[in-house]
Amino acid sequence: MVNWHYSESIESSEIVKIKKKYTNYIGGKFVEPSSKKYLNTVSPSTEEILSKVPLSNQKDIDNAVKAARTGFDKWSKITPYERSQYLFKIARLIQERSREFAVLESLDGGKPIKESRDFDLPQVAANFFYFAGWADKLDLSWGAKELKPYGVVGQIIPWNFPLLMLAWKVAPALATGNTVVLKPAETTSLTALHFAELCHDAGLPAGVVNIVSGDGSTGASIVNHSGINKIAFTGSTQVGKLIQKSLAGREVGLTLELGGKAANIVYEDAAIDQAVEGVVNGIFFNQGHVCCAGSRLLLQESIHDQFIKKLEKRMQTLRVGNPLDKNTDIGAINSKEQLDKITSLVNEGVSDGGELFQIECELPGNGFWFRPSLFTNVQPSYSIAREEIFGPVLTTLTFRTPEEAIEIANNTEYGLSAGVWTEKGSKILWTADRLEAGVVWANTFNKFDPSSPFGGYKESGFGREGGRHGLLSYLKASS
Amino acid sequence: MIEVKKTYKNYVDGKYVRSESGKTYTINLGGEHFELPLTSRKDIRDAVVSSKSGYKKWLSTSPYTRTQILYRLSEMLEGNKESYINILKNNGTSKRNAEKDFNDSIEKIIWFAGLADKWEQLVGNLNPVSGEYFNISHQNPIGVVFSLNKDEVSLKQLISSILPPLTVGCSVISLSNDSGLLALKFAEDINNSDLPSGALNILSGDFGKLIDDVSKHVEINLLAIHKELSNENIKKIEENASSSVKRVKIYPSTEGISSILPYLETKTVWHPKGT
Amino acid sequence: MSKTALKTSAKKLEWVDVLEHVYESRIDAVGLNERVASLATRSIKKDSKLEALNMIVSMCDLTTLEGEDTKGKISQMSAKAVKPDPSDKSIPSVAAVCVYPSLVRTAKENVKNSNVKVAAVSSYFPSGQVPMDSKILDTKYAIEEGADEIDIVINRKAFLEGDYRKVYDEIVALKEVCKDVHLKTILEVGDLRTYENIRKASLISLAAGSDFIKTSTGKLAVGSSRQACYVMAKAVLDYELWTGQKAGIKVAGGIRDAKDAIRYLVLINEEMGDSWLNPNLFRFGASSLLDDVLKQIRKLKTGAYQASYYFPRG
Repeated sequence: MVNWHYSESIESSEIVKIKKKYTNYIGGKFVEPSSKKYLNTVSPSTEEILSKVPLSNQKDIDNAVKAARTGFDKWSKITPYERSQYLFKIARLIQERSREFAVLESLDGGKPIKESRDFDLPQVAANFFYFAGWADKLDLSWGAKELKPYGVVGQIIPWNFPLLMLAWKVAPALATGNTVVLKPAETTSLTALHFAELCHDAGLPAGVVNIVSGDGSTGASIVNHSGINKIAFTGSTQVGKLIQKSLAGREVGLTLELGGKAANIVYEDAAIDQAVEGVVNGIFFNQGHVCCAGSRLLLQESIHDQFIKKLEKRMQTLRVGNPLDKNTDIGAINSKEQLDKITSLVNEGVSDGGELFQIECELPGNGFWFRPSLFTNVQPSYSIAREEIFGPVLTTLTFRTPEEAIEIANNTEYGLSAGVWTEKGSKILWTADRLEAGVVWANTFNKFDPSSPFGGYKESGFGREGGRHGLLSYLKASS
Repeated sequence: MIEVKKTYKNYVDGKYVRSESGKTYTINLGGEHFELPLTSRKDIRDAVVSSKSGYKKWLSTSPYTRTQILYRLSEMLEGNKESYINILKNNGTSKRNAEKDFNDSIEKIIWFAGLADKWEQLVGNLNPVSGEYFNISHQNPIGVVFSLNKDEVSLKQLISSILPPLTVGCSVISLSNDSGLLALKFAEDINNSDLPSGALNILSGDFGKLIDDVSKHVEINLLAIHKELSNENIKKIEENASSSVKRVKIYPSTEGISSILPYLETKTVWHPKGT
Repeated sequence: MSKTALKTSAKKLEWVDVLEHVYESRIDAVGLNERVASLATRSIKKDSKLEALNMIVSMCDLTTLEGEDTKGKISQMSAKAVKPDPSDKSIPSVAAVCVYPSLVRTAKENVKNSNVKVAAVSSYFPSGQVPMDSKILDTKYAIEEGADEIDIVINRKAFLEGDYRKVYDEIVALKEVCKDVHLKTILEVGDLRTYENIRKASLISLAAGSDFIKTSTGKLAVGSSRQACYVMAKAVLDYELWTGQKAGIKVAGGIRDAKDAIRYLVLINEEMGDSWLNPNLFRFGASSLLDDVLKQIRKLKTGAYQASYYFPRG
């Protein structure tokens, strides 16, 4: 009997030079935070301190917004064609430095190099290319001459896809003529700060892109700043609601991309083996740190046992470990805080009565890790069936009829995405019509493209990112 | 020292070829004579064979990859700016106008390159039919396009006639007479981009000799005439085309979204919605 | 546990059940292709690579099926099968040699002092388009000549005409001729085209008593693919679930280099489990593959890229 283990195949981290300390990028210059205070940033797979990033305060935000205003005056005067040329330049530079950014992303955030190399970075470049191509043809996009940019946009992004979320924000904002003040997530600021260098290398006019790192207070300073014309936020629903409240009565544009608890509906006439793959991909991709993760498996009762058996067997082949190992599928949990949250919810699930299956695997000594997990025997009232866990934990619920599937799927305050698995075309369309979700994936999951609009219904937020529709997040009617 | 002058050849299926007839015609540029291939009827037939397979390859290229290829084409041209400016100047264009012509051409290619992964969002749509049906109209490129270039020696004119059909996925056969040298020079940059062979074929010659063959060729899906022709010739073309219901566009627009519309066929698909 | 013991304790499927499973075949091609592509991103290096390469050698059916095959050619190939690399004794023999029935005797003679099996193609390989009697005769002859294993082809004409029963009955009849001789049934995935057809043909062949299902004859432009292998692996696993019986998979046709072969091993390893990684359950139909594998082994051990002339002709 063979026992074939894969030897380590580590992607070298020599390609990226991590500074001991980073500075903000404001008005085309690299500047220290006014408070001279810094935050440590840690590698979640080893717990070692990688570097320090600025803890920006009100004064830094004032400077950034001022710089963005000056930048806007310049940016709105150059031709659309010139704008597109800057964006192409940035796209090309990202392509050239792809590997470096991918390694940095994995070190700083914990995601497997396989994903940062094969998914995050190509998507980042593709987004800049895509939006570069809109800059010179905005007049075509909605046939509406009265649409104009907002001006200075404040952008706050999360830690799950740091550089990609930056691309989703910066590319369309710039293409439509806005300038930005962007705050990366506290635990994953490094790729954003390296991106700042790239903007500098591309010769982007000063103030068009400003990157300021910090914590929740920094974000609040941006949101509350009187000089901001629009806020774009991706993060938790809880914080999203606070932001929406802060902007009340202020005539500031807002788009929110918040949490989710997506239903992945598997009908009995699905292509079972591919549905298993889709379900696995839906929840374990990026350690489940995905707002649109298929975290609720809605399984037609008639195929429950055979499906769960195949699912558990497939989960067992997931490899958890060093993010820089090319064979790792599941990387580290982003922070101790997140790990604690996942652990607590899972424990609650068990005590509520859910049956827990976790794969057997060794976990590294240091770092934040959680084994891919599956709950069965769950009632819709359990917290694991309702709350966003944001980790590699899948909850199973059953249904008997298509109508019931719809009811259960929509029985949530969230509405970001949903999956439908069946080989029957008419059923896909019928189901998609009734799902209250901004993105419906049929016989696939977690598919993204710069040209495909993404965003949620209900408390998963409003506004779309990507595609022709995504432009509307950064353009407003001038009259 | 005898200067060995460069021979310009037709560009078909990713290769440089002389006319199978062996015939050439002369272009005078800046006091020098250049011999260009006088494309024959057989050359046309070979070009169409190549364009058919080129269409399949280009069609199977993803929209994103098409944008990348077209950007690269613009980058190739940028690298050869000097040669293009020289050709234009030798043709009598002022330095200033030559530069403008060149820069406008780059801007145009880039505009279309960025359109390749967006035009479908602008021209297709869902149709609100009665009944439990999903109904969508989407556009497909029409196939092999024969494009007759203007005689004006201008890179921008050449680009404008080629990019619209190419961007949406058609394969293009472009024929130039007076602007032949410029067109065949452009072929060199096409060769250095990653365009699949057969997607874009460049020929030089006299359309007058080919008018029947081209307008009657069943496997050319659309004729785009940019060069000014006599009413008599236009009538002949349209009559010939009718024998295979070939689409003919006389002096099509080369600006904006309307420039791509002639090169698209609409397909409407119905599908029931139910359990 | 011996194969016969496995069979008698296993559950047999009635034709009616087989047909039901066949009609339930639903595969999404796009999803399948993505999964197979993702398995190909595994990076197999160092010790795991050397292990893989040695496994591949031990799983090879060294094959020649040409009109120009002679006793001399078979002798050469058989010698290589027994000792693939005379300068490195740690490299195992291959699993089998695969030849036309008329050369079984020669092959048998040449591998007699080893564990290398002799497989023969029969049933009017590669087309199978003759009366059943001829196919039976072909098979009987090969067995009488001494073949340890028989590789037959399914009747694609019958399959594509929808006559699944005929496909099934033919395999049953040939299995009867084989008795304990190991039977591999070639699906010829290049003729079947769709993944659902490959699954259906797999299930029919397994239910009819095949010990192995095999992808291709190697005679078509379209040979084996990892996607086809994935479909077959799933069919084999499902069949095991329903009946308790394990069957093997052989991939043949177009697998030219070690890199590709390793990707097949990864697929089997992760989709089926490493208990399936042995010559009793997995084989490569190979000709040029073996040389590339030997080169890779030598490179790993010496650190230098190799040329073909370092390895004996086979």
